[in-house]
Amino acid sequence: MRMRTGAVLCALAGMLGAQDGSTHADWPHYGGERSAWRYSALDQINRSNVGRLQAAWAFQTGKVDGGFNATPLVVDGVMYVPSSWNRVFAIDAETGKEIWHYFYQNPREIGVIYSPWTRGVAVGLGRVFFGTLDNNVVALDRATGRELWRVNVEDMHQCGCNITGAPLLVKDKVVVGVTGGDSAHRGYLTAFDVNTGRRAWRFWTIPGPGEKGHETWAGDSWKMGGGATWMTGSYDPELDLLYWGVGNAAADFYGEARKGTNLYTDNIIALDPDTGKLKWHYQEVPHDVWDFDAAFECVLLDAPVNGVPRKLLLNVNKGGYTFVIDRTNGEFVSAWPVAENINWISGVDSKGNLLGRNEPPVGKPSLVCPSIGGGRQWNHGSYSPRTGWFYTTGIEWCQEVTVTPEEPREGINFFGGVFHLKPPMHGPAGGHLDAYDPVTGKKFWSYPSKYPLLASQLSTAGDLVFSGDPEGNFFALDARTGQKLWSFPTGSGHRGSPISYSVRGRQFIATPSGWGSALAGLLPQLWPETEDFPPGSTMFVFALPVEAR
Amino acid sequence: MIVAALLLAHAAADPALVARGERIFAQSCSVGYCHGVAGAAGRGPRLRGRSFASNYLYSAIRDGIPSSAMPAWKDRLKTEDIRAVVEYVNSLATATDAAPPANPMPPGIGPASLPSFNGPPPAARGRALFSDPTRENCGVCHAVGGRGVAVGPELTARSADVMARIHATESRHVLLARLQSGEQFPALLASQTADEVRLYDLTSAPPVLRTFARSQVVSMAQNPGWRHEDVSKTYSPAELEDIVAYLRWAATGP
Repeated sequence: MRMRTGAVLCALAGMLGAQDGSTHADWPHYGGERSAWRYSALDQINRSNVGRLQAAWAFQTGKVDGGFNATPLVVDGVMYVPSSWNRVFAIDAETGKEIWHYFYQNPREIGVIYSPWTRGVAVGLGRVFFGTLDNNVVALDRATGRELWRVNVEDMHQCGCNITGAPLLVKDKVVVGVTGGDSAHRGYLTAFDVNTGRRAWRFWTIPGPGEKGHETWAGDSWKMGGGATWMTGSYDPELDLLYWGVGNAAADFYGEARKGTNLYTDNIIALDPDTGKLKWHYQEVPHDVWDFDAAFECVLLDAPVNGVPRKLLLNVNKGGYTFVIDRTNGEFVSAWPVAENINWISGVDSKGNLLGRNEPPVGKPSLVCPSIGGGRQWNHGSYSPRTGWFYTTGIEWCQEVTVTPEEPREGINFFGGVFHLKPPMHGPAGGHLDAYDPVTGKKFWSYPSKYPLLASQLSTAGDLVFSGDPEGNFFALDARTGQKLWSFPTGSGHRGSPISYSVRGRQFIATPSGWGSALAGLLPQLWPETEDFPPGSTMFVFALPVEAR
Repeated sequence: MIVAALLLAHAAADPALVARGERIFAQSCSVGYCHGVAGAAGRGPRLRGRSFASNYLYSAIRDGIPSSAMPAWKDRLKTEDIRAVVEYVNSLATATDAAPPANPMPPGIGPASLPSFNGPPPAARGRALFSDPTRENCGVCHAVGGRGVAVGPELTARSADVMARIHATESRHVLLARLQSGEQFPALLASQTADEVRLYDLTSAPPVLRTFARSQVVSMAQNPGWRHEDVSKTYSPAELEDIVAYLRWAATGP
């Protein structure tokens, strides 16, 4: 009976047509729309005129520590953006003039490794929502920046966790993830009532005693087994499903104490957004001993698979494989790599099983590719419905890892080993930005980079792909060929996410510029000169000269 | 200058202490995204090939570095272990290579030297139950000795009648707030000014600190009907006994 109802619903959704994940004048959610396409339907700036793009305004946040890792949002001509240390700004998106700012007062001692950067806010229902370095969720009045409520989710010193990801607004709830996957912590996803701040529901990413999936954890390992929800999920209003990527199991490298598949770490979970109840899950990496999160963006797109239209969810795993699943039921569709240097598995079979698992031995160094930094980092890819391609980065690097037995310690990192970055097996260490068929992984072009590219991509209806590099260049590529058409030196490396929006008919491209983050800190292990790369925290906004439009 | 630094580092080097520091550094410092192996660059700054004043290192490790990701280790490492890490980091000052040796792990790595909780077993059990992350727990609203969220009273120095207080048949602190909108909820007054009232909304856990314009709050009355029981009922009587043992231990001091 239930299956039949589901089938009817799917057929209805199919008749209603494909979900449009394009943004227009506004950039209302973290991933553009809640399908996480990071695609703008604006085309005033296009391949023929992008060479004339000019800086329109710049905005300084004043806090360069940790870099500028954010995605700005734009609603009704106002940009809302957070910077390190939980500074939140509302800026006139046309002129760059500040409307209000709110500086959250964090305690002087943070002492949590997931800091001090922050990636985004959620805006809606007259409010601005964000998470803090000391593990609070805060709601501000959108018009004035005045605080309406805040709630301390859990003692940060005890859990070794906090909030750096952007919340996601779904109906009358704000859904917030948590860091802590590399700490002795049991992860969860929490929804709060937008009006009162009261907790609406919590989904534990590790099932407790008596719950299905609890048997996938040995002994008491479930209590501190990681499973962070540190990035931002997606939402399909037609299916009324909330999707969220869950991070690695802890200890990251030492898995002997947590034998089992360790649900729901490294899973895509689909929840009922009203209740937080699990609808289905798909595990990318059972029993992870490499720190290969499934936490990155969930891109919701509709595309034919073997000639049959399917509702898909695409997730790039940190291990360097992109997993494509059916977002109505979690069924595996395909997997394809975004990096060339991958040795932790030899491949993924047609059912989604990992082949040739290469688990690092305990007590002696071994080479694992990619490094803990990932075959791709969290910085997000972009899907263009015009080309039908998915644009994302890949990183070529390895690490020497030594696994060590480790007991969980309250509030402290829980890695179970140490690592040091090493050059890859084949070719030089470095990065690339590529265009792929989202289902088959067929690569159409590749843009090489000396350093890993750690900024997100933006694609537009002008057939452009925007991104930035660690040396501070913000650039536009031809979405069809990968040819570089324009570049602008912003003076500090790129670790955030560009967006596009329009005000009174003028299209703007905005990008945070500001080098810093955990990963930026690791780069000197392979590229010593990056130790001296300048930090920054500036919003750069570009547009065509008025007469050129 | 360089010569002087080398001499100082050399003069301070006690091989046994450095070796001990290396082991602790490997376990607690060069993990994950923090410091790299053997002081290579990581999320934290490179320590290899740099010299630091020993007293600076000692206080940075013991107390943490304010407004940074560097935590205070005073409750996590013994004093002699912090000294050993200082010696080890000083020993890296002469490293001329950016990369550490091939095998990053010193032999004989074992369990961490975390100071253990030294209370009696019931108090130890109570301490775990107080902030049991697997259920609604006391730490969601109360702090003891810096652990937990201090929305309600800090419980460290409260020994008298703790068992009775856990069941909290009444509380003079908890008010009933009534808003202009008609909404009402059990509340703790956090702060107020001429224009603004900040109240902890205790309707559900975790409590929410809500900010209102004064005109939005119609009244804040005594709330003798408020009970603590919903949360305390998640614990069995035996578990509550252990929590009481923990609170008594915390009040009298280790």
